[in-house]
Amino acid sequence: MDTRDRNTDPAAQGAMIPDGAILPTDPILTDVRETIPGGPPAPGETTAAKGTEKIRTPFQESLLRLWRDKRAMVCAGIILFFVLLAVLGPLIYQHVGGTFQSSINGATPSSVYHNPFHQELDHQDEFASGMYWLGTDSVGRDLLARLMQGLLISISVAVLVEIVDIVLGITIGVLAGYFGGWIDQFLARFTDIMFAFPGLLFVILLTGIFGTWADTTLGNIPIIGPNGNARLILVSLALAFTAWPLMARYVRGQTLQLKEQQFVEAARTSGASSAQIILRHIIPNLLSIVIIASTLNIANTIVGEAGISLLGLGVQSPGSSLGLMISDGISLIDSHPWEVLLPSIVLAIIVLCFSFLGDGLRDAFDPRSKD
Amino acid sequence: MNLLEVNNLQTYFFTRGGVVKAVDNVSFVMNAGETLGVVGESGCGKSVTALSVMRLIANPPGKIVGGEINFNGENILEKNQHELTEMRGSKISMIFQDPMTSLNPVFTVGYQIAETVKRHRKDVSNDQAWKRAIEMLDLVRISDPKRRAKNYPHEFSGGMRQRVMIAIALSCNPQLLIADEPTTALDVTIQAQVLELMKGLSREFNTAVMLITHDLGVVAGTCQQVNVMYAGHIIESAPVKQIFETPAHPYTVGLLQSIPRLHESRGSRLTPIAGQPPDLSNPPVGCPYAPRCPKVQNRCRQERPELMPVGRGEQVAACFYPN
Amino acid sequence: MVQFLIKRFIGLLFVVIGVTFITFVMGLNAPGDPIRTLLGQHFDPRLYAQLKHAYGLDLPWYQQYYNYIVNLLHFNFGYSFKQQGQSVWSILSSGVPISTELGFWALILEILVGVPLGVVSALKANTWVDTTNMGIMLVLFAIPVFVLSVFAQVIIVWIDQHTGGSWPVSGWGNPWQYTFSDLQFKIVPILVYAFTGMAYIARLSRTSMLEVLRQDYVRTARAKGLSERVVIYRHGLRNALIPLVTVLGFSIGLLVTGAFFIEQIFNIPGIAQITITSINSRDYPVIQATTVLLAVAVVIGNLISDILYTVVDPRIKVA
Repeated sequence: MDTRDRNTDPAAQGAMIPDGAILPTDPILTDVRETIPGGPPAPGETTAAKGTEKIRTPFQESLLRLWRDKRAMVCAGIILFFVLLAVLGPLIYQHVGGTFQSSINGATPSSVYHNPFHQELDHQDEFASGMYWLGTDSVGRDLLARLMQGLLISISVAVLVEIVDIVLGITIGVLAGYFGGWIDQFLARFTDIMFAFPGLLFVILLTGIFGTWADTTLGNIPIIGPNGNARLILVSLALAFTAWPLMARYVRGQTLQLKEQQFVEAARTSGASSAQIILRHIIPNLLSIVIIASTLNIANTIVGEAGISLLGLGVQSPGSSLGLMISDGISLIDSHPWEVLLPSIVLAIIVLCFSFLGDGLRDAFDPRSKD
Repeated sequence: MNLLEVNNLQTYFFTRGGVVKAVDNVSFVMNAGETLGVVGESGCGKSVTALSVMRLIANPPGKIVGGEINFNGENILEKNQHELTEMRGSKISMIFQDPMTSLNPVFTVGYQIAETVKRHRKDVSNDQAWKRAIEMLDLVRISDPKRRAKNYPHEFSGGMRQRVMIAIALSCNPQLLIADEPTTALDVTIQAQVLELMKGLSREFNTAVMLITHDLGVVAGTCQQVNVMYAGHIIESAPVKQIFETPAHPYTVGLLQSIPRLHESRGSRLTPIAGQPPDLSNPPVGCPYAPRCPKVQNRCRQERPELMPVGRGEQVAACFYPN
Repeated sequence: MVQFLIKRFIGLLFVVIGVTFITFVMGLNAPGDPIRTLLGQHFDPRLYAQLKHAYGLDLPWYQQYYNYIVNLLHFNFGYSFKQQGQSVWSILSSGVPISTELGFWALILEILVGVPLGVVSALKANTWVDTTNMGIMLVLFAIPVFVLSVFAQVIIVWIDQHTGGSWPVSGWGNPWQYTFSDLQFKIVPILVYAFTGMAYIARLSRTSMLEVLRQDYVRTARAKGLSERVVIYRHGLRNALIPLVTVLGFSIGLLVTGAFFIEQIFNIPGIAQITITSINSRDYPVIQATTVLLAVAVVIGNLISDILYTVVDPRIKVA
């Protein structure tokens, strides 16, 4: 009766079909084939009798189901668009638009005025124009450039958090599921506590308390440090710290199921050591659940980073973050609403896309969890 | 007039994989006070028949597409929702297979019995209903019924829960009790107790019982008449003695043969019936048992046999070449 | 049941102890010397030592921690570093009734709207009613509360500009008072605040109700001749609500987190806003106090839902 999981726990709902791509096909496990749309083969009827069906591994089956899910594919496309925008956008944007004569700074090439940190104080709070494709904010910074920078921050934080989340989650989850014992106990207690205490609150408090320390100490790390991004490491670590218990629980659940499967027993009887079993049989079959859990967690991370920056505890000016853009724009909501609407809408779209994609992934990899 | 008369009942399930003809042209009768056993393997349509009588078929995907079910002369299939809820629990009651999950965990057993009484006897007060609940618990031999009526289902064992179900079912003195595999989920010794109880109560209150089971042993001890079902059809119907002593349909013969016997030598093999039941969304032409029948002839594969007398009193079987 | 509760209580006690310890350590290691800052220009070594002694800051750390805990138990949160002479409690006390009012109404709304929405969706599962409903709930749950707040404010501003009205977008009115002007301040923030939790509860109610309607005892209830309404509401809903009770703790957690954003964006002077201000001004005693308060709120919420669960499910009643 555990209803604490924010997403319905995929590991708790029926058996997941493992990706049987490693061992010679186990007839019991690989019998799930997609022949009748939506229906299992009738008893007594073998799927071979159906004719020219390609034989696919369950993993490929799942990918095919995902491909057919239009909503998930559209969302994946939108996400891809934003990623490309964040990574390649600035490079292109820097060269678009010619040099213009600024009354303050003289001749200003596009590489300067399309830079997210450059303030053109003559062009404050402008609406979208040929020069500033999405307008400017109250200190004359190009909103499109800031948006791309903010997206880049979101992506970077998401990637960093996800890496830690996956590594920690898989390590502890597999150990807890496979060996049980004190690791399992510890994980259970720890996740109980983490579930009782909302993650974002913890991150807020952590960044609030150690924020200035991070500014001074981490601000000296090259690339990441300057431009107000020093706290990002702190934020990322905090977000990862609150995320890994859920991943570990999913992994643990899946490990427990996999442990009982015949192909694991077969490996054990043929003399494989625990380490070999874990590395070669268990971990590869965790792929689908890790993908689903990661996708859903990325949505949380992006919201978390934006929220922290909005409260002023994350990225600091002159840096840019979706959250920071929102908090900057709030005061101008009656005069220049687009300044706050732009990052809000972009954030909403991204989060929705990740949520739908996560749902789509879950349906693709575990269709039985549908009502 | 027969208590229950089922004529050409057809209950189909409309699924994405096709139309499953779970009950296809089933006809039988029951008399007051009689115990009818309905036997067959899983999927043969026995439960669906019972649920059809109660009009408890989930729609979608199921639907009673044809036939009539006459209870005391009235066709159940023509009743409206209000009449059905009047009928259920008071004229016809049903108990189900799994006692562990058939009782609502958040209400006391006394409440669940009294609830039925109050629903069907509008003039009865709460106190009287509760008293009746205790009476029923006593009737089904639950010790210390006054105290136990205030207990919750999880405080009872499986066998006792099934007895509570019987108490609920009989609380308004129904004329027909349908019992769908009531003892399948119970230990053998408890099975015997529950069956004895049902037999006794049926006799005492002249309640007809439709006992559905896959266990021939259960049938032998309790029923007067037996219907054997296969693939959505009744393929044999006879008084219980004849079913066991002179089974007519090859399927019935196969069923009886497959029961392991104590006196057989240790090394001897069991004799199962070869093959699988047919796919009900695509039933074969001809006799549904033909693919597995050891005595199959050409005619069996082309023509479907109806129930016909086999020359021994009331015994009928749907076979061209019965024993 | 009692064992279960005790175990939970101890676990949650650890959370509170852990939180107090962390905030205490944080206070000890806070950069900057509060006494020095306090004295500012008037630094004098003797005065420094005196003040340090007065604040109890010259004691060994475990004694300081002990004093800290004892004080906490007496609701003594110490004195602010920034606002001289002001006790932390006096700073917080203005925010407590506001935040509790905000949270209280949001919670009520979440339950009173979320549960029926979920149940209706379950009863009409897979029809357009269900699909649209759950679609909306998904969107409301996924979109973060601060974005929803922004959208709400933009809408209000737009309405104001086009109708010449003056519906406020910030501020709170009087705590626990409900004149029309007060309501104008409060309705929108409470509504937006409740959306996330409402969506979560609606989805959960739907799942729970669907699960319950599949159960054998529902079939039994029908076979007893009970009317469909009785079957669904007496037998079904009663069971479906059981898992929902455990969600109370999580909902309160959501509310506590959401408070930061709602109070920030709607400029409501509640505890969360005070916390942010004290974080920015590095007023550590206030930060410590609010951290502890918020943690305790979350913990109490979880405890209440645990207790309710044992009350509502008779299977747990037996000790």
